[in-house]
Formats: sequence, C-alpha cells, structure tokens
Amino acid sequence: MSEAENDGIWGVAHVHASFNNTIITITDQTGAETLAKSSGGTVVKQNRDEASPYAAMQMAEVVAEKAQDRGVEGVDVRVRGPGGNQQTSPGPGAQATIRALARAGLEIGRIEDVTPTPHDGTRAPKNSGF
Amino acid sequence: MRVAVTGTPGTGKTTATGRVETDLDVLHLNDVIKDEEFSTEMDEERGSLVADMDAVSEWLDGREDVLFESHLAHNFDADRVVVLRAHPDTVVSRLRERGDSDSKASENAESEALDVILSEAVHRHGTESVYEIDTTERDPESVAAEIEAVLADDREPSAGTVSYVDWL
Ligand SMILES: Nc1ncnc2c1ncn2[C@@H]1O[C@H](COP(=O)(O)OP(=O)(O)O)[C@@H](O)[C@H]1O
Ligand SMILES: [Mg+2]
Repeated sequence: MSEAENDGIWGVAHVHASFNNTIITITDQTGAETLAKSSGGTVVKQNRDEASPYAAMQMAEVVAEKAQDRGVEGVDVRVRGPGGNQQTSPGPGAQATIRALARAGLEIGRIEDVTPTPHDGTRAPKNSGF
Repeated sequence: MRVAVTGTPGTGKTTATGRVETDLDVLHLNDVIKDEEFSTEMDEERGSLVADMDAVSEWLDGREDVLFESHLAHNFDADRVVVLRAHPDTVVSRLRERGDSDSKASENAESEALDVILSEAVHRHGTESVYEIDTTERDPESVAAEIEAVLADDREPSAGTVSYVDWL
C-alpha cells in the first residue's frame, strides 16, 4: 500500500433520495465538515430528471472526484429516502450512486438505510410501501 | 368509489376529511387499527402500533362507498388517492401544537421532506390515480374543498408538484 493510501481519510456519503431530487453529500466521519456536495439540479436540465438514476450517477462522479481531491479514500454510505420518481422500487438510484462512487475510485464501507418512518400512534411494517 | 386520503402526520388529514361534504362513509383508519387491535407488535421507540396490514385490508374488503384517511391509507386498494402535503416546518409546528413529542415531529418532518408517502402512493397506485394537495398556509376548509374537487372529478391527477428537499 502506498503512503498516500495510508494517509487517506475515511468519510461518510449521505444520499438523500426523494421523489423529486437526489442530494449526495460527503462529510468527515463526524458529519460536521462537508467535503463535497451535489444535487440533481446541478447535473440535469429538467426538474423531472433530478431524481433519475442518470442524475445520481453524474452527481456521484462529481462528488467522488471532489472528495478524493480532499484526501478521502473511502466512505460509509447512509441512504435516506424512498428514491426517485422514475423508478419502480427504491434502491436503483441509491444503488447507481453507490456503484458510481466505487467506479470513481472510492472504497465503499458499510451501507446503511436510515429512511425515516412516518408514524402517528400506528406505523406500517418496514418496507410495506414497496 | 373508494378514496384514500393519505399524507405525513400533521398534513391535516383528520381535520380536512372531517369537513368534506360527501355521501361516502368517512373512516379514520388509525382509530380502526387501535379499536379493532389490528396490530402485530408495539414499536416502543416510536410509541406506535405496527399495523397488521392484511387485517386492515380484510376489514376494508366489501366496503365500497368509503373515504378512508390515515398516513397508511395509500397501502390499500383505492380508486383515487389524495396525498396531503405540508412544508416540513409546518408539519413540526402543527404536531408540536397538537402535543406530539419533538422526536415524533422531526421524524415525520424528515419523512415529508423526502416525499416518503408520495413515493409509496405513486409506486402502488401510479401517477394517474394520485392527487397531491399542498396544505401549507391553507385553512382546513379550502383543503376540504380541494378533496371535494377530486371526488367530483374536477381535478387532474398530480405528483411531484411540491418539493421540500431544500429543507434537508
Ligand atoms: N390546514 C390547516 N392549517 C392549520 N392547522 C391545521 C390544518 N389542518 C390541521 N391543522 C392542525 O394541525 C394539527 C394536525 O392536524 P390533523 O388533522 O390531526 O393531521 P393528520 O390527521 O394529517 O395527522 C391539528 O392540531 C390541527 O388542528
Ligand atoms: Mg390524523
């Protein structure tokens, strides 16, 4: 292993995947410092494309490069949200993002789904909506 | 006709549907789940019963002219699905005012910002059956009027008309 790799920082990639948009933020491990950020609106022209897997992949490439410039060698991934409006199930946008981060040369550590649960004295069983 | 009115807690479903003028029977599924004990377990962390979706679905079977409201309503068969929306800050202030805890208000606000319920509704019912209504800064009467417009076929289906992703 080269010296540069030994010195690499480990970060956290936060993927927010809503019906309308995707936002990818890479922070340090505490979450306090943002090292790189991109949202769907910056890589596609049409609003309706902001949540597409294509946008997610484009963004992942951009943030991976920025993060690597700042010394990040790998990331844990925290996915939040149901995914985009052009998907038939959650995951493809997030999966596309994670694959693109890896392809851009980032090591991928633990992947966690931290999507919030709407609740009001009752809640649905996990994943019942999909 | 079967109409589901769904949306994140705090978007005003129970309040608005109480003011809708309709011949449909208005059913409040959260009450049904508690009264009929349609649950499989207790989520202690959230103070919420985990709904037995099959039991609710069976209970709804055969009820035809109904409007049922709950943040779970989109999980059941319906001809039209109304999704009430509200800005996440509005969700927080309405829930806090109603007496709900901080943690409940904030998890629901985050769900709203991420379009969790809208996505589930579109996934299950398709964009042609979903009617999104933004309730932010609207009074319950005007929200009720919008729901009546859906019932009367005076409104086109819609989804993705509001985005609160900047709130995140
Ligand atoms: N359109 C509205 N504008 C302002 N406050 C509202 C509105 N609709 C409901 N509220 C208030 O917000 C709180 C939540 O409303 P509620 O009908 O219980 O929401 P839900 O059934 O969707 O959880 C209640 O205290 C209610 O009085
Ligand atoms: Mg209610």
